[in-house]
Amino acid sequence: MTLLLIVLIPLLGALLVPVAAARGRMGAAWMAGALTATALGLLLSLAPQVFAGEILVSSWAWMADIGLYFSFRLDGLGLLFALLILGIGLLVILYATYYLSPKDSMPKFFAYMMLFMGAMLGVVLSENLILLLIFWELTSLTSFLLVSFWRHRSDARQGARMALAVTGGGGLCLLAGILLLGEIVGSYELSVVLASAELIQNHDLYAPALVLILLGAFTKSAQFPFHFWLPHAMAAPTPVSAYLHSATMVKAGVFLLARMHPALSGGDLWFYLVTAAGLVTLVFAAYVALFRHDIKGLLAYSTISHLGLITLLFGFGTPLAAVAGVFHIINHAIFKASLFMAAGIIDHEAGTRDMRRLSGLFKYMPYTAVLAMVAAAAMAGVPLLNGFLSKEMFFVETLALQRLDEWAWLIPALATLAGVFAVAYSLRFIHDVFFNGEPKNLPKVPHEPPRWMKIPVEVLVTLCLLVGVFPAFTVGPLLATAAGGVLQAPLPEYSLAIWHGFNEAIVMSLVALVGGVLFYLLRHRLFALHARLSPGEFGAKQVFDGLIRGLLNTSRCITHLLENGSLQRYMALLVGAAITVGIYAAAQHGAVNFSMSGTSIPINGVAIAILVGLILAGLGTVILHRHRLPALVMLGVVGLCVSLLFVYFSAPDLALTQLSVEVVTIILLLLALHFMPQEAKADSGSGRRWRDALLAGGAGIGVAGLTWAVLTSPFETLSGFYLEQSVPGGGGTNVVNVILVDFRGFDTFGEITVLAIAAIGIHALLQNLLIKPNEPGRYGWAPAKPPLLLEVISRPLLPLALMVAVYLMLRGHNEPGGGFIAGLVVGIALVMQYLASGVEWTQARLRVDYFKVIAVGLILSLLTGVASWIWGYPFMTTTFTYLYWPVVGKFEVASAMVFDLGVFLTVVGITMVILAELGKLSGPLAPRPVQNKGESR
Amino acid sequence: MNFEVPNFTPAIPEIFVLSMACIILLLDLFITDKGRILTYILSLATLAVAAVLTITLHTPEAVYTFSGTYVADPMSSLLKVFIYLTAAGVMIYSRDYLLQRDLFKGEFYVLSLFAVLGMMIMVSAHSFITIYLGLELLSLCLYALVALNRDSEVSTEAAMKYFVLGALASGLLLYGMSMIYGMTGSLDITVVGEKIMLADHNNIVLIFGLVFVIIGLAFKLGAVPFHMWIPDVYHGAPTPVTLFIGTAPKIAAFAMVMRLLVEGMQGLHVQWQDMLIILAILSMGIGNIIAIAQGNIKRMLAYSTISHVGFILLGIMTGTTFGYSAAMFYVISYAIMALGGFGMIILLSRQGFEADKIDDFKGLNDRSPWFAFMMMILMFSMAGVPPTLGFYAKLAVLEAVVNAGFIWLAVLAVIFSIIGVFYYLRVIKVMYFDKAEDHHPITAGSDMKIVLSLNSLAVLGLGLFPAGLMALCMTAL
Repeated sequence: MTLLLIVLIPLLGALLVPVAAARGRMGAAWMAGALTATALGLLLSLAPQVFAGEILVSSWAWMADIGLYFSFRLDGLGLLFALLILGIGLLVILYATYYLSPKDSMPKFFAYMMLFMGAMLGVVLSENLILLLIFWELTSLTSFLLVSFWRHRSDARQGARMALAVTGGGGLCLLAGILLLGEIVGSYELSVVLASAELIQNHDLYAPALVLILLGAFTKSAQFPFHFWLPHAMAAPTPVSAYLHSATMVKAGVFLLARMHPALSGGDLWFYLVTAAGLVTLVFAAYVALFRHDIKGLLAYSTISHLGLITLLFGFGTPLAAVAGVFHIINHAIFKASLFMAAGIIDHEAGTRDMRRLSGLFKYMPYTAVLAMVAAAAMAGVPLLNGFLSKEMFFVETLALQRLDEWAWLIPALATLAGVFAVAYSLRFIHDVFFNGEPKNLPKVPHEPPRWMKIPVEVLVTLCLLVGVFPAFTVGPLLATAAGGVLQAPLPEYSLAIWHGFNEAIVMSLVALVGGVLFYLLRHRLFALHARLSPGEFGAKQVFDGLIRGLLNTSRCITHLLENGSLQRYMALLVGAAITVGIYAAAQHGAVNFSMSGTSIPINGVAIAILVGLILAGLGTVILHRHRLPALVMLGVVGLCVSLLFVYFSAPDLALTQLSVEVVTIILLLLALHFMPQEAKADSGSGRRWRDALLAGGAGIGVAGLTWAVLTSPFETLSGFYLEQSVPGGGGTNVVNVILVDFRGFDTFGEITVLAIAAIGIHALLQNLLIKPNEPGRYGWAPAKPPLLLEVISRPLLPLALMVAVYLMLRGHNEPGGGFIAGLVVGIALVMQYLASGVEWTQARLRVDYFKVIAVGLILSLLTGVASWIWGYPFMTTTFTYLYWPVVGKFEVASAMVFDLGVFLTVVGITMVILAELGKLSGPLAPRPVQNKGESR
Repeated sequence: MNFEVPNFTPAIPEIFVLSMACIILLLDLFITDKGRILTYILSLATLAVAAVLTITLHTPEAVYTFSGTYVADPMSSLLKVFIYLTAAGVMIYSRDYLLQRDLFKGEFYVLSLFAVLGMMIMVSAHSFITIYLGLELLSLCLYALVALNRDSEVSTEAAMKYFVLGALASGLLLYGMSMIYGMTGSLDITVVGEKIMLADHNNIVLIFGLVFVIIGLAFKLGAVPFHMWIPDVYHGAPTPVTLFIGTAPKIAAFAMVMRLLVEGMQGLHVQWQDMLIILAILSMGIGNIIAIAQGNIKRMLAYSTISHVGFILLGIMTGTTFGYSAAMFYVISYAIMALGGFGMIILLSRQGFEADKIDDFKGLNDRSPWFAFMMMILMFSMAGVPPTLGFYAKLAVLEAVVNAGFIWLAVLAVIFSIIGVFYYLRVIKVMYFDKAEDHHPITAGSDMKIVLSLNSLAVLGLGLFPAGLMALCMTAL
């Protein structure tokens, strides 16, 4: 429980900070300090148990379904980091209180700071790896808030974004790595994971998991080639840099290396990856640090270099190297925090951090200068200071490394080189800032900072000295516990003495010190050389920016390709993708089996003739599609060929229906087309036409093949049921009609209702629409009278057609025919009258309100259905009986016939409504009666 | 032929919503513009009562009715409740928007209610026909809703595109269904599932049926390469309609995938798995990469939707119960996040100003620190940053993918998510770092402000306590 409190106090305390700020500016600082001190107190109360070798774990279920537990763990490593976070945190709070200017919002700063502290504590105290990841990402987020604290500055914003992008992205890689690890081990609990090193390292997933986890660690700890974000994050207020970029956040990466050390280290992959990253970072960053003119830039690269050193140590994978790594973590946190604070003081009191302008500050702020010089000496690795001890251990380890055989000299040599650079940049920091003549046009006259601002630096520098002189008494127990926490095993033999006798490591240190001084003396030439060799800024940041630019360009390019807003393009893509997926699936899984088996009708000359006609007519329609009238004619031919096919398949009913529907639709289309230009513009280039032809052809062939496959595969047909049941169940021998009006009568009822609604919809759409005849590209009705011959012939045709309709309807139940077809025939006959004799003439003689016809039709159909309720049957049960009519003889009467009558009326009504509305479109010639009728409705 | 009276009880919520939609349709004809608020209140009340009905009628076992064409099971109840919630959110967020633009018409509410009904049917459908009915009811309402602002050229163009492409996709879906029907001889999902288990899995007709069904589903979900409609429609539709299309229908589409692929075609899992993998990779890749270059936030969110769909497909692809639960968790999380995200656009818009550019969010922190913070939560959640809801959704799916043995796929998903972080961050950057160009006060009503805040806080709250929702998703399957 205490563990949970340690994490939650800063996290939830962040909410209290603004509240406390209501009591004045200092309230926020006091609150932050009090919270940190409380957490520190709680941590210390647990410390004895940890020193005694216990591992404290407390756990609550959170999302047990996915293996996520709210569980914390305190062992030596966690304790060390928690102490650093809280201890240095306390000092930074004190420092920041005096550092922040009155313009900066204290409550906001300290609230962010508390959030960050809580997240960081969460990282180091998590037992569950996913929980660790959550806190890990939280540190990225809160550091984003802290780095961008001065959001009016563009460099701060950029730096914060870059830091977030790199570390947040790395965090996601870490997530993937953790998931893999969980997959290997079967648990995300550290206790389990750390104990299964053998299982993990022999698993196939070890390599990807390791790479992903290392990506997370390297991005966070700014290891090459991900180091570039850290210098840019220096735009943060200095307390933030002192806290995040020396002691805590960047240490999270090396913390992870230390944490996972027992589980992941040892193998070759670990060694080469981690050592290489560490070594390159160590040397490269130390070199770059020398050429930075900004104090914080120098310190940032120095931090990167030291992190590289720690990474390198963990990369060795030996227990002693791990001890050295932990030791350097402690030392680096102490001296680097104090150096950042000193840099902040200089910036604060002198107004700039540019080492080319700052000089001779010793005169103005001797006290600060002494503190900074001691810390810088620790950074350089001067004996009697803490930095020397861990560096010495580091040199010993590089020498002890057996792994590289004949290349074994390489690592100590490069380590010494890095040591030379480190001494040189430390010297530069001291000499350029505090000596080297007079300051050059500073914004203000520098002076010592307020008393309380120096205290944190004093504390840390004192620690540098104490650890450096009495290592075994001061840091010994903590180091032992922490190293024990890293190794999860008994500690190796090591000695913390200041002097181990004259050995190779001392020689390396001496070389580094002397070389560093020489290097610094030659600095002017080196600077000139450096300037000549690297004319422009080129580094990982440029690569990062380039990557983003590239991504943006790719993105624009794809957008342009896929999303140009053209419906045609989208359709092409959709159809193309459908064809591709189809081909892919067929190739992947399908056993294509085109056989000629199955019950198919034999092919003969008639069938081939019809099919050829159909294909030609279809092609004709496509080719002529821009000439509307011929295209329409072609379309009619297609319809006729289809009806012929139906006849050929012995489906006279379908053929009749198809035929009449064809006639009505073509006439209606003709009417509609009348209002459009006779020819459409060609608005597709030939390239697109070919593309479309290809797609259409592909889709057509695909569908044809599919149809073939379906038709030739064995199947059971449903038609048997209907054929058997038609006479006994529906009392009719025309199965199609019986299905329509009896078996599936409800469907038909629904369909005619939909048709009626469609007619009303067309009416509503066209009602107030008037097309002016003189509008360009549009045409009114031709004023010419209809041809006389047509007029004369059409008149006797009407009663004849009506006769046929009645005939078709009555026989419909047994022979080809039925209400639907009859309705269409009547429709055609009436349309003929309009066409042959003109709208005016017909309208005057045919005063029928077609809406009423539709209504009557629908009601009749409905009543047939409802009527069955009266006799206690379910809706739409039909019955039939046989009557003997004179002349006709035995005649079968089914209640379904009434229903069919309804269908008939509805179809007639609908056809005529649509026709009438289209006929009214061109105003002046439209006959008056129609208009009146429209109004009376 | 005898006709049994079906058990209507499981479908009472649907029947209720249908009746209310008809009543509101009629009522709306007789009320004046001033009294139109009644339509709004009644619509919200309908959703509330439907939620109560769904919850009270909920049974842990699946209940089949209407000759097995309809089912009420835990999954349908859970998804329906979230559909009501998001639809209610849409109505609350859009009231002021519609009022200001003279679009506050009964049509919006009636069409929305019918769309909700369509989604309920999709969720509860247990036969090809019912699924298709639900889908078309939903789609037709959405086509009309996109064109709600008839005078806007962008809107009508978007509606036209949506309709043409949607009709094509529906046709393909129907084509696929008919082939499966042809092979199995049944429309009932359970029977189809059993028949397919026994069938020859390499039968070309079955495979093509599957392909066409998947194409239809991919289109409705908006998975690449069947996604083209999403950006244009999201962009062109009035923001409330975008809000609607972007949220609840995704839940319904997920249910449709579950019914068709998982319940109906589990036997073809091997075959649909690799198709879903391709769709998922393309969706995550193209969605995330294109989103980067967008200047219009509606378009950006459209592409973000596409990438989220990729994640949902990943969860389903695994073919494990855990994967399905993870996908369900993801789709619900996504609906909540998208509701908030599009809600923020509506919040910032006002008459004559749509606030649909990313630049319109500039300096939001100076104008309203609270809503900038809310938007930040939403963006972080969409990016999958802990401890927001979106993180757990991604986590659960990734875990399911890893469990199913697709390590490379999980890694790929993570890489695409990293690319995705980039454009969400851009919105945050703009809100916090850039100077505001627009200094109008935010004028939304307090009800909207409260609900939107609750919505965003829910993303955070469910992120802190995700176990409950996850447990619901686990028990629903």
